Amino acid sequence: MKFGKRLKQQIEETLPAWRDKFLSYKELKKLVRLISSAESPEFGKADAGAEFMYLLNNEIDKFNAFFMEQEEDFIIRHKELQQRIKRVIDTWGPGGTKPSEAEYKDEMAKVRKDMVDFHGEMVLLVNYSNINYTGLAKILKKYDKRTGGLLRLPFIQKVLQQPFFVTDLVSKLVKECENTIDQVFPVEVEAEIVKEQREAITVAGKGIFRNTVAALLSMQEIRRGSSTYGHFSLPPLDFPDSDLIHSFQLNSPITTV
Amino acid sequence: MEARPALSIQRSGASQLSNHGVSGGLSPSLPVLSTHLEETYQEFSDTQEVHAEKELMTRPLAHTTRLPTNNGVVGHIFSTSSGFSSDIHYSSALPNEKHSRNSPFISQLPTNTAALPLSQSSNSLLPQSTIPIHCNKENSGSWCTDPDFLDFPEWADQLITGDDALASNWNELLVDNVTDLEPKTTYQVAKPCTTVPAQNQQLPSPSVESHSVVNPSSSANNAPAKPRMRWTPELHEAFVEAVNQLGGSERATPKGVLKLMKVEGLTIYHVKSHLQKYRTARYRPEPSEGSSEKKLTSMEEISSLDLKTGMGITEALRLQMEVQKRLHEQLEIQRNLQLRIEEQGRYLQMMFEKQKSGLDKLKVPSSIPENPPAPSDATNDNESPTKSQLEPSQRDHVNSGTGIVNAKSMLERSPQEICGEHKAPETGDLEKTDTCVSESSSQPSKRPRIEE
Repeated sequence: MKFGKRLKQQIEETLPAWRDKFLSYKELKKLVRLISSAESPEFGKADAGAEFMYLLNNEIDKFNAFFMEQEEDFIIRHKELQQRIKRVIDTWGPGGTKPSEAEYKDEMAKVRKDMVDFHGEMVLLVNYSNINYTGLAKILKKYDKRTGGLLRLPFIQKVLQQPFFVTDLVSKLVKECENTIDQVFPVEVEAEIVKEQREAITVAGKGIFRNTVAALLSMQEIRRGSSTYGHFSLPPLDFPDSDLIHSFQLNSPITTV
Repeated sequence: MEARPALSIQRSGASQLSNHGVSGGLSPSLPVLSTHLEETYQEFSDTQEVHAEKELMTRPLAHTTRLPTNNGVVGHIFSTSSGFSSDIHYSSALPNEKHSRNSPFISQLPTNTAALPLSQSSNSLLPQSTIPIHCNKENSGSWCTDPDFLDFPEWADQLITGDDALASNWNELLVDNVTDLEPKTTYQVAKPCTTVPAQNQQLPSPSVESHSVVNPSSSANNAPAKPRMRWTPELHEAFVEAVNQLGGSERATPKGVLKLMKVEGLTIYHVKSHLQKYRTARYRPEPSEGSSEKKLTSMEEISSLDLKTGMGITEALRLQMEVQKRLHEQLEIQRNLQLRIEEQGRYLQMMFEKQKSGLDKLKVPSSIPENPPAPSDATNDNESPTKSQLEPSQRDHVNSGTGIVNAKSMLERSPQEICGEHKAPETGDLEKTDTCVSESSSQPSKRPRIEE
């Protein structure tokens, strides 16, 4: 139940609009249990399998739709942000049409904030994709285990090709975003920053940042070795400064379970 | 087109589900047919047809080439299915009226109206012979047992004959389909399905053969009325171009943009929704779902940052970026790992199947006693010579990956006859695993920890 718990946690902490877009892991698990126990002749293996697949397909549809919708949004917003930066530079920047340092700084700060949040949101979408995939893989494994079916392998191959799993475009946008930020908001003194990071205790209350922190930690947890760790499992994840990341969560106003 | 009645296929988001449910106890033929058609169509049109239904349906369908027969137009539709297809104009809908067998087959295709009905109805008719076997359980019973079905006019025969080609194109269409509706997927509860008696359930449900469904992540799109298009930055660029040419996002109309863009397969619905998003993005910079909430929290974030940590906004943002970058990095790594794991799983499965078929030919006796942990030699002697050839290659391949595939778990259903009991090796001994590809299913499914 560890994954289920983690998933639930992530869902709780995720952006509100995303809450019902995740995998219905618990329900599917229940169904698997139901299927494996109720082995009546009426409801034969084949039926159960088909129905299970039907449900999974519905889930996949849900993921695909949501993912592609978000992706489309991201494409639009990405371009808009780029243009906005350009506009700000061209208007208030030095050499612009109405150069004004104050305005420039002000606007740039806003853009930066927005960009960082945008970046975070995209990353969260990738995380969304991944966690749903993981959930699917687990559920399939459970199904096979319980019912002796051979659903997992072919089905997961199918999943791998689904739009929601193919996150290349979003990743690309993320990288582009990073580049833009690095270019437009160059990093200053490194050492100090690191120190400040170490000193920081509370950083995020809610919102994107909190979600990404949660997601990162979740990932680590999920990949910690489990009893059913097997050849199809991912190796455990090890963040060198996971303590720091943990600290981001500690003081959050909303208790994480 | 022949003068035949056609099925009307109306689609609606909800209907697909309701039909699934309804079809559970269907008796009249047409409902079944249309339901099935709807399902398949639904799959085809809305989603990635990585669905069982589609698989089931298309599997029996011929795997021939393009559709030759009746409709040149249809051929046209299908012909571009592999790329960014032009078949978008499939806006036909699935029928809601299920009781008039002769209800006209209405395809709301803007362009290729005539063509579609043929393909679709033929497809639906095809089931008469093949699909029943494979169709969704809800229909299976009805398919096979329904007498009404057999009374279809003779045009059905015509269609059925030309079907294989059509079917395969159907397959291709489905294959290339990327789209996705807003599937208000109410989680269709088990009930309707469970009530369906397990009839002709030759649907080998788990073994959805790996018809690797190619879903090009680019904007390939075969969908009908409300399809989901996968946008790309390039496409968006073209869109913005067109909009600017038309005088800006406020003045541009979907129709105008559509015309200007001249992108095959793009429908006005796509453009409309995209335009809407575009407008929102421009006039509410950085909007997003829950944006108001986000803005609130962002403000809170900033203030909390300032107050509690004394960290400037800049540092806070930088930190945020770091965490986000980290997460993204990890996600990518994880994803790659997952891909490789599955790849290896597939590979081993393939190996196993090869060996199995090879062995079957040799008719290896089923009683092979427990093998010692190093069975390579023994089993190789017994089994086909190809195995020993396979083994080294497997070894190489398998050991190269980080995600070590558990051949055993994958092959846990493998017949014992091939190799008898074989103690699954621990971590690195995959060679041994591979030589004796199939292992006893009595192995515990909980595996010990493996090293990466």
